[in-house]
Amino acid sequence: MPGQIQDSAVASIPRPRESAFAIGLRRILRTPSSRVALVILATIILVGLLAPFIAPYDPAAQPDIVGLKSLAPSLAHPFGTDPYSRDVLSRVIYGARLSLAIGLLATLVSLTLGVAYGAIAGYAGGVADAVMMRVLDAFLAIPRLLLLLGILVGGPQLSIGALILFLGLTGWFGLSRIVRGQVLALKHAEFVTAAQALGASRRRILVRHLLPNLVSPIVVAATVGVAHVIVLEAGLSYLGIGVPQPLASWGNIIYDGADQGADLWWMSLFPGLFMVLTVMTLNILGEALRDAYDRR
Amino acid sequence: MLRYLARRLAQAAIIVAFVAAISFLLIHLAPGDPFTAVMDNPNVSESVRQTLRAQYGFDKPLPEQFARYVGSLARGDLGWSFSHDRPVLDVLATVLPNTLLLMGVALVGSFSLGILIALIQVARRGSATDHALSGVTLLLFSMPDFWFAILALLAFTYWFPIFPVGGAVDPVMHEYMGLGARIGDRLHHLTLPALTLAVLAAGAVARFQRAALLDVLPADYIRTARLKGLTEREILRRHALRNALLPTISLIGLSFPALLTGAFFIEKIFAWPGMGLAVVNAIGTRDYPLVVGGVIIGSIMVTLGSLLADILYAWADPRLRGR
Repeated sequence: MPGQIQDSAVASIPRPRESAFAIGLRRILRTPSSRVALVILATIILVGLLAPFIAPYDPAAQPDIVGLKSLAPSLAHPFGTDPYSRDVLSRVIYGARLSLAIGLLATLVSLTLGVAYGAIAGYAGGVADAVMMRVLDAFLAIPRLLLLLGILVGGPQLSIGALILFLGLTGWFGLSRIVRGQVLALKHAEFVTAAQALGASRRRILVRHLLPNLVSPIVVAATVGVAHVIVLEAGLSYLGIGVPQPLASWGNIIYDGADQGADLWWMSLFPGLFMVLTVMTLNILGEALRDAYDRR
Repeated sequence: MLRYLARRLAQAAIIVAFVAAISFLLIHLAPGDPFTAVMDNPNVSESVRQTLRAQYGFDKPLPEQFARYVGSLARGDLGWSFSHDRPVLDVLATVLPNTLLLMGVALVGSFSLGILIALIQVARRGSATDHALSGVTLLLFSMPDFWFAILALLAFTYWFPIFPVGGAVDPVMHEYMGLGARIGDRLHHLTLPALTLAVLAAGAVARFQRAALLDVLPADYIRTARLKGLTEREILRRHALRNALLPTISLIGLSFPALLTGAFFIEKIFAWPGMGLAVVNAIGTRDYPLVVGGVIIGSIMVTLGSLLADILYAWADPRLRGR
């Protein structure tokens, strides 16, 4: 688009400062599908944030384990109840809070590691880069779910914090490779040479000159990354080694109804719907952001 | 071509070696050792645990343990499965063919379906059909495997009982069937899990293939074909698709991790007796050697898959074939 200077090669030319976030947001708001996605996602986030005020019941309370267990959806319990007589709607609402928080925090861990590792490998080059990339190849060859199984099955039931940490620790390999490629491509750009000529240290060049040019791939990776973690956490919880009871996460709720899937269909259906909606809106936004940044 | 093959093989070997190192780390970073998790049982005395540790060499210094570990891996020894009371390799080797069958059928199905969807979309690009199909593929792409599989199971075995609930064969009658009936029985059991996995994976393939097709459409040879007076359908099929299929070959390699992960959930939900079901059950019994064995075999499968895809690519691309 003429007149809009966004190319990294001219990033050193003074221009009105507008953050990459603002650019991304402004551009994706032009397409109707991402506007809808943004509204839906914002609603789900709001539901998660306001969970204590919205949820009709205490998500962990088991008011009557005999009389109120495994009830089909009704007016009193729109999403039904589970085999412990807990209200599924309240658990789904609190699940939104937990699943989103885990997705966000684990992705933060992944971003930090992935950007650091990729930037160092790309900037160092040579043997260090080659070795670091081979290690990355090996990690990429292990499917993330399997890697997590290997980590999680050996130990005792993990706390939420440890779960987030491990989800983050296993999610940075792909991003790292993207960052490394970008750094490699920009390393010899003129604005880097100029900074070097001015006597800037390697660290300053990396942090002040190279990283700002990586914001767009990072934002895209983060958006899609949160979606990945949500699905992964749900999968692990479904296998019984994710979020510990009595906390509610979307995968956890499905796990609670899993062995009576046909009779307790509401326990699979509703949390899954919320999950798909969240993941889909995140993917729509991720794709829209990619398009927005790609447009030169 | 040969030199490329050799280099690519060496790369794969290095990856597998690293995977072995990572799996060793996994075993040793896990809190305690494999025996704390397995032997939580208070009836097992500390002295028995010590003996077991010594037997398995867990009291030796780490480098020595690593050397022993790599040595036994090289001999194909993946350890002892506690829950099956058999060597891990035995357990996995028995069920691996089922997983390969499931993944193979799903792979072919997902690429056929995905490419077909992409062709329909590109033939009517910009139309309502195109947009609707884009929505469908995005939905499939965003779908958690296990949830989709649960819904498929509920829909086609309970609400509309078209397919059997689980397993690879009929547990009672299969023994007494003739050859034709046996094959029919297997197909009847295979269809729903394989179709579920294929549909799940088709979303990503369709999105990728659509983009690849749209990428080649502005090329000069497409314009030439159009000037020759070929119909749009012929152009798509004979010129655009041929060139746009090339990147899809590398997608085969890339899709292996997702396919394998999907197979794990689908095997659990449809009780399909493959590697995924064995490993998922091993989670419940805390059979750690079997889980790590599954991680190693799964990673080797992924590495081999991407190796095969690369070889296929080099063979299919005339520009690379000569090298």
